[in-house]
Amino acid sequence: MDTVVTVAQIALGLSALLAIARAIRGPEIVDRIVAVDLVLLLLAAGVGSEAAISGSELYSAIAIVVALIAFVGTVLVARFVEWRDVP
Amino acid sequence: MMVIGSIVLLMGVALSALSAFGVWRFPTAIARMHAATKSASLGLALVVLGSGLAASSPGIIGIAALTTALLFLTAPISGHLLGRAAYLTGSTDYRFDALAGSQPIALRLESPSRADFSLLRWTGLIAIWVLLWRDFSVGSILGGAAVGFIIELSRRSTANPVPVNIPALARFSLFYLVALVRSNARVAWEVATPFQDDIDEAIVAIPLSVASPQAALLVANAVTFTPGTLAIELAGDPLTLYAHVLHFEGEAELRSEISRLEKLADAVFTRS
Repeated sequence: MDTVVTVAQIALGLSALLAIARAIRGPEIVDRIVAVDLVLLLLAAGVGSEAAISGSELYSAIAIVVALIAFVGTVLVARFVEWRDVP
Repeated sequence: MMVIGSIVLLMGVALSALSAFGVWRFPTAIARMHAATKSASLGLALVVLGSGLAASSPGIIGIAALTTALLFLTAPISGHLLGRAAYLTGSTDYRFDALAGSQPIALRLESPSRADFSLLRWTGLIAIWVLLWRDFSVGSILGGAAVGFIIELSRRSTANPVPVNIPALARFSLFYLVALVRSNARVAWEVATPFQDDIDEAIVAIPLSVASPQAALLVANAVTFTPGTLAIELAGDPLTLYAHVLHFEGEAELRSEISRLEKLADAVFTRS
């Protein structure tokens, strides 16, 4: 089980690097929001996978909270992007 | 149990990695959202579920169910808002664009019509609270009652209440699940094959003929999770659904698929 989780977390980390690369390259702000949202979801998956070893519900709960923060952040910034040019 | 859990967990990781590749590879913001909204949500749900199965913990499996429900409520919302922002600020040239020339999409917050307090829903909220805390003391129930009361008081409804048909809801969910698996397979295919060459993004308009706004909402949510489409806007009278498609093959095919969705969604909100 430890090996599986280690492999999973390395894969998630590499994916997050890819998403961060997209966040840096953009080119538009919406691309960056999509990428950062994805980074948070990958982070949630990484934390959640820890529960497979420890069996503790705390990790899954943290995963939910991170995913919800990602959602709220995305919605906020999307609204901001849409309305920042409106006088 | 351990083996099944590991397999589910690794499937979730594969989907998550896939969506990261998609976000890296796809050429435009909305195309990237196709990868991010469809695969990453299912990926996270599978990772939490796999961990619960591997640890044989009913608690974690319960949290996995909650995660799945939350993600499937939130992903279409953020997809819709981001899609709108991307459309309004982006500079993509669509070969076919049903929204072109229309007024800039305006924020239409309908004024809340009336408070909508339901004793049944309040009791349900208290039950969820107590189950989440797994603490059946009087204090926990009172806490749940206080929070539930505030939620119910602040709730405003603009749509008329409609009955929910449970068997029809189950049928709809099954259809939704199949569409979800198909759309993830589709995203996987798009990520794995050369994509840049045959990209043909378009915004299509599909007039909806559903009986209630609730059914329209279900259809819009489901469209975000069906292969190759992402709901961008739901507006107008009659209600028209504007969706972004990855590969434009004409509106007719999409219409027939959505009319099937409409029938399923309408059945959910009719008394049996």
